[in-house]
Amino acid sequence: MSILSFEFLLLAAGTLIIYYVLPIGVRWLALLGGSAFFVIMAGWQSIIHLTGIAAVTWLGGLLLERLEKKKMWLCAFLALELGAMLWVKYDAASVTVLGLSYVTFQSAGFLIDVYRGKVKAQKNPLKIWLFTGYFLQLAQGPISSWKELGDQLLTGHCLEPVSFVSGFSLMLWGYFKKMVLADRLAAATEILVGDISDFPGWILILCVILYIIRLYGDFSGGMDVVRGISRMLGIELPLNFLRPFFSLSVAEYWRRWHITLGGWFRSYLMYPLTASRAGLKLGKFASRFLGKKTGRVLPTALATFLVFLLIGIWHSFSWNAVIYGAYFGLLMAISILLDPLWRKQNRRWKLNEKKWISPLRMVRTWILIIPAQFFAFTESTSKSLGVLKQCFVNWDFSNAFGQLTGIMPEWEWMIAWLAFLAVLLVDLFCEIGFDPCKKLAKARIWVRWPVLLALLLTILVFGIYGPSGDSSAFLYTQF
Amino acid sequence: MTDQKTERRKELGFFWMRLAGFCILAGLVIAYATYVLTPKYDYGICSMVNFYDQPENSMDVLAVGTSLAYAGINTNVLWSEYGIAAYNLCSAEQPYWVSYYVIREALKTQKPKVILLDAKPSIYTRDYSKRGRTILSTYGIRGMENRIGAMLACVEKTEDAVGYILGLPQVHSNYKNVKRSDFAFPLDNGGRSSNWKGYIEVDAVEHHQKPSLVWTSTRRNMNEREEAYARKIFELCAQEEIEVMLVGFPNPDYASDHMYYNALWAVAQEYGIGEMNYNNPDLKFGLRYSSDFADWQHLNVKGSMTFSRKLGEDLKKIYDLPDRRRDEAYVSYELCAQEWYKKYPSFVSSGIREGE
Repeated sequence: MSILSFEFLLLAAGTLIIYYVLPIGVRWLALLGGSAFFVIMAGWQSIIHLTGIAAVTWLGGLLLERLEKKKMWLCAFLALELGAMLWVKYDAASVTVLGLSYVTFQSAGFLIDVYRGKVKAQKNPLKIWLFTGYFLQLAQGPISSWKELGDQLLTGHCLEPVSFVSGFSLMLWGYFKKMVLADRLAAATEILVGDISDFPGWILILCVILYIIRLYGDFSGGMDVVRGISRMLGIELPLNFLRPFFSLSVAEYWRRWHITLGGWFRSYLMYPLTASRAGLKLGKFASRFLGKKTGRVLPTALATFLVFLLIGIWHSFSWNAVIYGAYFGLLMAISILLDPLWRKQNRRWKLNEKKWISPLRMVRTWILIIPAQFFAFTESTSKSLGVLKQCFVNWDFSNAFGQLTGIMPEWEWMIAWLAFLAVLLVDLFCEIGFDPCKKLAKARIWVRWPVLLALLLTILVFGIYGPSGDSSAFLYTQF
Repeated sequence: MTDQKTERRKELGFFWMRLAGFCILAGLVIAYATYVLTPKYDYGICSMVNFYDQPENSMDVLAVGTSLAYAGINTNVLWSEYGIAAYNLCSAEQPYWVSYYVIREALKTQKPKVILLDAKPSIYTRDYSKRGRTILSTYGIRGMENRIGAMLACVEKTEDAVGYILGLPQVHSNYKNVKRSDFAFPLDNGGRSSNWKGYIEVDAVEHHQKPSLVWTSTRRNMNEREEAYARKIFELCAQEEIEVMLVGFPNPDYASDHMYYNALWAVAQEYGIGEMNYNNPDLKFGLRYSSDFADWQHLNVKGSMTFSRKLGEDLKKIYDLPDRRRDEAYVSYELCAQEWYKKYPSFVSSGIREGE
C-alpha cells in the first residue's frame, strides 16, 4: 500500500480516530492494529519477514540480558537479521519485502543497544513487533533507535491541537513535495535511462540536476508525510532530511541527507571501528610515519571510507553503487585528513568571518556532489559513462526551447519551477529558524485555513496522481 | 484540577468543531474544484445536465445511445414536422452498460412512450469503457445510485471506480483547458438555453459512398457485457411498460457492423422488440451519402434532417404518438426548434409553420 494511495489515507485516518478513542493506556494497540493491517496488505512475504525479524529481536533482546558470552550471541543474532536482509536483497529476487533494510537496521540497532546496556529488552513481543513494524516508517524509514521511538509508540499521547495541525501541515507539505514537484520531474529525468543520443549535453546535465531535486522531493516528501501523520498521533519521528541544499561541505551534506541512515552507520559501525583495538593500533602505527595529527585521524578517515562504500553497496549490488560510495568515501576521507590544513587556512584568512564565503562553499559542495549523481540514477556503469560522455559533446542551444518542451510540456516546466521555488523558500525559512508548519499551527484561523486549503487544492489539482498522471512509486521504497 | 479538566474539555471541543468546519469547507472547495475542472463539452455531459431542466413527463420519445444518435436524431425536425416531443440523451461511444443507468435515471422524471435505442454499441468489443468516455457519459448523471452504478459498470475493478466517484482524481489534470466559463455556476449547457433537446449538430460535409454489402442474416457474436446490459435494458423497459425500438443509424462504415447488428436483432426478438435499420439498401428516403455525412460515421445537419423526417414518419406509423405542437406544456420544444431554425436558416422546415 503506497502512502500516496487513498487506502493509505483511510488507514491513517482510521488509526488516528481509534488511537484517540481508546483509553490512553492502550492507545499503542491502535498503532499495532494499523501496522498489522499495513503489513497484511503488503503480502505474506512481508508478514513472515517482519514477524521473523521481530521474533529474533524480541528473543535476542531477552537472551542478551541473561546469557553469558553476550558478544557471541549478539553476533549470532545480527548474522541472522543481516543475513536475511542480504539474502532477500541480493539473492532472492522474487521475494519482495516491505521496508527490508529499514526494519533490519532498526532491529539490529536495538539488539546492539541492549548489548551495550543502553536500553532494556522488552518482555512483550507485540511491543517489539510494533517497534519493528510501525507502519508509518515501514516503507522508507526513518531508521529510529528504541530511545527515539520505542517509548513514544508505547506511551499513549493526549490529543494536542497545535501538534495535530502542525502534523497535518507537514503531511500536506510532504505530499506537495512528492506529488507536485518530484513526480512532475519524473518524466524529464526518465530520459537519462533512455536513448540519449539526440540530446545536447546541457539538457543531460540539467536532467541530472533535476534528478537530485526529484530525489529530494520524493524522499523528503515521503518523510514529511509520515512524520506529519506521526506528529498528529503525538509521535515525533527523527528527522531524515535537514535542507541539504544549503550544505557548505560534502560532510555537512551527509549530515543533512538521509540522516538516520548515516547516523546508524556512524553509531553502529564507524565509531566501533575507530575505537576498536585495530583502529587504535592503526592510529599509533600511522602516527610514527605520518605525524601525530594525521595518525590520529587516519582510522576515522578509513572507517568513513568503508562506511560510505557500504552505503553505496546498500543502494544496490552494482559497480555504479560501488563508484558512488567510493567517490563520497574518498571525498570524506580526504576532507578528514586535510581538516587540520583547512582549519589553519580558515584561521589565517579569517574565511569563517566572511559572509560571501557561504554561497561559494554551497556551490563548491554541489560541484562535488553532482558528478556522483551520474552513477545514482541507473545501475549500469556503461549507461552512466555514456551520459557523462554525452554531456561534453553537442552543446547546441539553437533550439533550446523546443528541446526543453520536448522532454516536458511548457506548463509542466512552469509548475515544476514554481514548486521548486516554493520548496526552496520554505527550506530557506526553516534554515533561518522559522518553521512554517509550527508557525501555521499557532496562527489565527483566518490565516491558517486559507493556507491549508490552498495547499490542499494545489496538491489535488497540480499533483501527479490518478490515471492521467500515473504517479511514481517512492524511489527509496525498493531498499 | 477540575478547572484544568474543564479547560481541556473546552479546548478539545473547540478543536473538534474547528476540525469539522475545516473538513466541510475543504469538501466544498474540492467539490467546486471538481466542478470547474470537469469537461463540459457537448458529447454527453451537457445533454444529461440539461435533461434535469426539462418539465416532468414532457417526453414522448427518448433517444439513448452513441454519437450516431445525437448527431442523427434532429429533435427539431421531429417536433416541427410531426409534433413529436423527443429528447436526445446520448453520449460519445456510449455502451449499453451506461445506457442502462441513463435510462434508469431518466425514468425517475419522465415516462416516454418509446425509447429509441442505438444499435451501434452491439459492435463494440471492449469489456469496459475508456477513461474519457466514462467521464463523458457519467459525470452528468445527478442521481448518485445511477451515477455510481454507471461508473462501476465502466471499470474492470471496483477500486478503479473510486477515482470517478470522487471526481477530482480523474479530472484534475484538466487545469490546462480551463476557461473562464468553467467557473460559472450553474452550468450553461455550452451556451444553449434549457429548451435544447439534446440534438448535437455536426456542421461539415464529407463525401462518402453507400456501403456495399451482402444483406445476409449471418450473425457475429456481440460482446458479452454489451449483450447482458442490452437484455437488462429490454427487461427494465418491459417492466416499466415502455416500448423499445432499436435503431440502426445510416453510416458509410456500415458493412463491418452488419453481422453484429443481426446478433442484436436476434436478442431483441426474444423480448418482442423490433428494429429500424436505415442502412437497408432497399430503403430509399432521399439520403445522399455524397453530401449528407460529416465524417465516416456521423450524419451532418442536412443528413440529420433527411433522416429525421423518415424516422418521424416511421414513428408516427408504428406508434400512437400525439402531436404536441398546440400543447402549452410543450412550448419548450417549439422554442428549441425556433432557435435552431434561426441558427440554420438555409434548412427550412416543412412543418414549423403548420404548428404555429
